[in-house]
Amino acid sequence: MKSANRELVDRLAAEYVLGTLRHRARRRFERWLLSPQVGALVKAWEDRLAGLEPQLTPVAPPATVWRGIENKLELRKLNRQPTMRWLGIAASLLVFVALGVFFTRPAGPPPITQQSFLQADAQTIYWRVEVLGDSQELSLHVHVVHDLPPGKSHELWALPEGGGAPVSLGLLPHTGDHHRVLNASQRAALANSKQVAVSLEPEGGSPTGAPTEVLLAAPLAKA
Amino acid sequence: MNRIDTLPPDIELAQLLQRCAAADTAAFRTLYDKTSPILFARLLRMLRRRSVAEEVLQDVFVRIWQRAAQFEVHRGRALAWMVTIARYCAIDLMRRERMTLVSDDAIAEVADENTGEPGGLEKPNNFDHCIGQLNDNTRQCLTLAFVEGRSHDEIARLTTNPLGSVKSWIRRGLLALKECLSTERQTT
Repeated sequence: MKSANRELVDRLAAEYVLGTLRHRARRRFERWLLSPQVGALVKAWEDRLAGLEPQLTPVAPPATVWRGIENKLELRKLNRQPTMRWLGIAASLLVFVALGVFFTRPAGPPPITQQSFLQADAQTIYWRVEVLGDSQELSLHVHVVHDLPPGKSHELWALPEGGGAPVSLGLLPHTGDHHRVLNASQRAALANSKQVAVSLEPEGGSPTGAPTEVLLAAPLAKA
Repeated sequence: MNRIDTLPPDIELAQLLQRCAAADTAAFRTLYDKTSPILFARLLRMLRRRSVAEEVLQDVFVRIWQRAAQFEVHRGRALAWMVTIARYCAIDLMRRERMTLVSDDAIAEVADENTGEPGGLEKPNNFDHCIGQLNDNTRQCLTLAFVEGRSHDEIARLTTNPLGSVKSWIRRGLLALKECLSTERQTT
């Protein structure tokens, strides 16, 4: 970043954290937050201005708030899943013992090992990407429909560490939940990546095998 | 109203966040119980309407759950991290709704300022000294913006100062604060 630019971005970072950067300017600035340099400036201002935090008397929120959170995140379903999985395993074992034959229990879905939230700004998550098992499968969930110009597609990329070329993980869906089995090169790339990215491509995907216009990148975190 | 006399220790909150990152819903509930009254008070202070603050508090915890993996344990300050998420959610709402939240004579539900013991969120070294160096107008503008989420226009109206002056006090105040804090850090 040039020093004049850096000064301007630092000023915007300060007003972003203070809260006086509003409306479109705030939204535009949030797109820059993907840059580690801008992120570092914002974090520095968050630390500086933390001194302005008031001491307030805590106020207990009503119980409806927690219920709303539970519903939005489907936490009850999440709680039930492990039990169901164990019940499934127990049932399979029983069948296995009863039949006394050697066959492989049909595998349930592998566990989620990593996940990434692809978001353009602090407010809106567009996709949730889950890596299942040992990078062999992907689960894609559309949270908010991203604007897509006609004749264009969104493509997902693994960004290997150490600056290797991005590897396509396929096109991103625009509605619903999707499941995808990865090929060997995709698995290898993903196993070596700590970030994924979304690019805007001509319909059907990148014509060159490399991202055309990267829109966002997000960390892959252990689930 | 439940009172929390002491803030939960950051290390405990950081551990709960780590467990949330591993999709531990029981840890999330504990985190909620320990911090929701603090975050709710903070949102009430900015949004001023209880029903709106309740809605935003849901969004705040949804975001905390979804982003728990992004919390950097080594940086500490788990509560500050969560309060920042709450502030940004409140500002986002104001931005989206183009909300003016200034009905100053209808502030019945705003959280009380705690006049008790100082402490809680960690302040940078010498913050009090540096903020004390600013003139009263500047300090007031920064506080109205940060604490109450007021826009430039609202601050100008509330303080009956020209908008241009408010903007320039804020800009210069932020610069002066940054410079003072970095100087103090070097000398300490």
